[in-house]
Amino acid sequence: MTSGAIDIGALQGSPQRRRRESLILRAFQLAAALSVLISAGIVFSLLGEAIVFLSNVDLSQLFAGGWYPRRGEFGIATIVTGTMVVTLVGMVVAAPLGLAAAVYLSEYAKPRVRRTVKPILEILAGIPSVVIGFFALTWISPEVIQRFFNDASAFNMAAAGLGVGILVTPLVASVAEDALRSVPQALREASVGMGARKRTTTLQIVLPAAVSGIVAAFIIGMSRAIGETMVVAIAAGGTGGSAFTVDPTGPGQTMTAAMTALAVGSDQVRGTDGTFQSLFFVGLLLFFITLTLNILSERFVRRVRQKY
Amino acid sequence: MASRAGSLTASDLVAASLHGRKRDIGGGIFQALLILALFVSLLVLLVLLYDVISGGISVFSERGADFLRGRLSIVTAATAGVGQGIFGTLLLTVIVVLVAFPLGIAAAIYLEEFAEDTRFNRFINVNIRNLAGVPSIVYGLLGLAIFVKLLAEFTGGRTALAGGLTLAVLVLPIVIITSAEALRAVPHSIREAGYGVGATRWEVIRSHVLPSAAPGILTGTVLSLSRAIGETAPLLLVGAVTGFLASGGASLYEQLYGGYTALPVVIFRWASLPSQDFRALTSAAIIVLLALTLTANALAIILRNRYERKW
Amino acid sequence: MIQMSSRFRRIAILALPIALLTAACAPEQTEATSATGGENVSGAIAISGSSTVEPISVAVAEKFNAQNPDVEISVQGPGTSDGFELFCNGETDISDASRAIKQEEINACKENGIEPIELTVGIDGLSVVTSSENDFASCLSFGDLWALLGPEAEGFESWSDANQLAQKYDAQGAPYPDEPLVITAPGEESGTYGSFIELVFEPFVEEQGLKEYEEEVAPRPDYQASGNDNVIVEGVSGTPSSLGWVGYAFYKANEDQLKALEIDGGQGCVSPTPETIASFEYPISRPLFIYVNKQKLQENPAVQAFVDFYLSDEGIASAEEVGYIPLEESELEATRSTWESGEVITEETGS
Repeated sequence: MTSGAIDIGALQGSPQRRRRESLILRAFQLAAALSVLISAGIVFSLLGEAIVFLSNVDLSQLFAGGWYPRRGEFGIATIVTGTMVVTLVGMVVAAPLGLAAAVYLSEYAKPRVRRTVKPILEILAGIPSVVIGFFALTWISPEVIQRFFNDASAFNMAAAGLGVGILVTPLVASVAEDALRSVPQALREASVGMGARKRTTTLQIVLPAAVSGIVAAFIIGMSRAIGETMVVAIAAGGTGGSAFTVDPTGPGQTMTAAMTALAVGSDQVRGTDGTFQSLFFVGLLLFFITLTLNILSERFVRRVRQKY
Repeated sequence: MASRAGSLTASDLVAASLHGRKRDIGGGIFQALLILALFVSLLVLLVLLYDVISGGISVFSERGADFLRGRLSIVTAATAGVGQGIFGTLLLTVIVVLVAFPLGIAAAIYLEEFAEDTRFNRFINVNIRNLAGVPSIVYGLLGLAIFVKLLAEFTGGRTALAGGLTLAVLVLPIVIITSAEALRAVPHSIREAGYGVGATRWEVIRSHVLPSAAPGILTGTVLSLSRAIGETAPLLLVGAVTGFLASGGASLYEQLYGGYTALPVVIFRWASLPSQDFRALTSAAIIVLLALTLTANALAIILRNRYERKW
Repeated sequence: MIQMSSRFRRIAILALPIALLTAACAPEQTEATSATGGENVSGAIAISGSSTVEPISVAVAEKFNAQNPDVEISVQGPGTSDGFELFCNGETDISDASRAIKQEEINACKENGIEPIELTVGIDGLSVVTSSENDFASCLSFGDLWALLGPEAEGFESWSDANQLAQKYDAQGAPYPDEPLVITAPGEESGTYGSFIELVFEPFVEEQGLKEYEEEVAPRPDYQASGNDNVIVEGVSGTPSSLGWVGYAFYKANEDQLKALEIDGGQGCVSPTPETIASFEYPISRPLFIYVNKQKLQENPAVQAFVDFYLSDEGIASAEEVGYIPLEESELEATRSTWESGEVITEETGS
């Protein structure tokens, strides 16, 4: 390397310039490492209070018949089931709509149509959830749910679920479309060359090839639905406490809405020993559920990428 | 690739010659179903907009700018307005811009331009992607534990500063990811040209990479801003005011350390009031919020379409 | 191209925060110009507590703010109990309450060196409500309320499920029809919850000699509980055969969606009206309070000025304006003299 007459110092530039360079590197590195600090902050703040919660609370109360944190009844099953009901309703809407939109945009739409439709979907994705919550309460609930189910109450999980579905559809569509578009064109051409029709090509060649990406889209959608707060807080009616219920036409409580209900306007919450800390316990649970789903979907996405 | 779904691809030509002019009825139905699904999604958007606009437009026609200046109230619908909400949202937004943007872009630069493929750097990458998927309410808990309680000395507790910092942390991963994508799209030849004339890494980044990636970075940051504007749940946990707020004669700086409210929080509170007057106000406030977030989104999309380049 | 983007970048990075800052400052100026002098009091007042009393405090704060634009005020309404939690931690200056402070709360305050001054600001009738579409229920006795809402009613999903229980207590509203019993009512954080227990269940338990509930009695646990009366109004008005209870003002403000049931406390059916509530003829009337942190008065002149205003004719009229029943002249005088003497409360008052 150091052959010849050139001094190695000359190649390294001025020391001042090098010092500045390494200073900037450090600064940027610090900014990137901050994200680790944030994760640590999340885990430690949740974990710390959650441990306090678990050590203060009679653990049998975790299996109480309802979620009444101020009474010391922490029926986790109630809010987990509520979350599942809302998520399920949401995914029943978002999975087919999102997938169909993705298939159409990726396989059928002419570029001009794509260019106009995609931004509209993005706008839908950009609507704040508090708006969808209001819409779910004031329109979906009376105009859709109560029309089909006569004895549905004004606040109900089905309306919240549909709202969550609306919110998640663009996300599912966008991730699924990415997966479909990453299927190599050659596969389609081969299929068409064999005489297969477009529908056959789409259903039997493109969709199976992109299946892990589509699964990933559903999982990401689910994770988002589980973590959605405002729609449920506004439209599902379960505020302070709720009995165990699986009836989507009635009010209910999800993990996220239970947390907002407990801490709106005050971080000094009256109740039993564990009432305020239950907030963090539920948060920790939510964090791990969504984290697991996100990691899972990442796996599926990577599988598509590796294949092609 | 780009013309895959174009008007006449090789596939289309082959298909046409193989099937002749025979109608593919099943295929037609299938396509119709797909379009229907898409149509339903768009219809929802239209119904939502119609519902909100028809519910809230009367407030604007009757009160006009007065509504935009009015203060948060849960009692007198006739004078209540979104002035404090808008102000609070902008105050929070400024904190987000000042905190999350520089940090996020710096982190993205490090990850894309400096970081070697070490275990730690890979961990940072995975970590950031996971942070982006953490539900916003969990950030509310983080804000409550860290900014409101732990750092109360510095933030003053339930203040605008604590709220802004919470939102900044929330959008940080999104800023990093979108900025990193924009940086990644800049081809290596541009960097190599810089190195070739003896520039250091930072000099190359500053003079070549950042300018080329600026539109992409800007798009991402504007999108994350729109996300921050619409967030409600974390602000509720970190103590945004929902009843009544008067800032007194406090200066902008003092307001950082005072109570605050934000547009989506106002909407949340009004949405829980059953009176018809407040329902109309809620719709009107939503129109304002949508105007803000959709403008930001549209701006981002336009920026992207305008400056997106193929290298 | 790069030249252009570079300029573009610089402008964009500069323009964004500046645009936002200038926009953010704009309402500031309009606020300043609309200021109307006043007595030049300044300071900050934090009010929290009952969501029932919140509208009164908000209405007073609006008027006060018009005259004293330099005072910072925030009003929140998480619930009476949460409010006391904040108050006794010294985080608020004034606590709204829809029930009297409890001994344990007074003690908690004392531990932190906080002495509360108790001021009655209005009267409320707990309104037992159903949807305005309900055509089968009109008057309920305490026995009915016990059969439908009491601890023994746990699990009843239809009004008719309560028939047997109602018969046992000779409740006069029974038999009820087979309609879904959808209950939305206040939760533990709310003073309205505590008042209901105190005014309905405790007297009933005593009268009937229900030993097992003498120590402690609470409503059935399985209903949608909320600290926000407005959410309760929404929940009750949304289903025809619903049941719940709210403060009178919330019933009054939503008269078109709600039907207030008459209550029989032993002297016949009485519907909640301003007259029956003020005279306590309506069996479940209750006073509404604000509690003021005495120590804050010395350090913060704004609190003194605010409460002075609260109890002035103009301020106290707010209670009636937002739908509650005004204090009678003698009670108002009593409140004002408590305020002037600065007498703090050291022992729980019976209601």
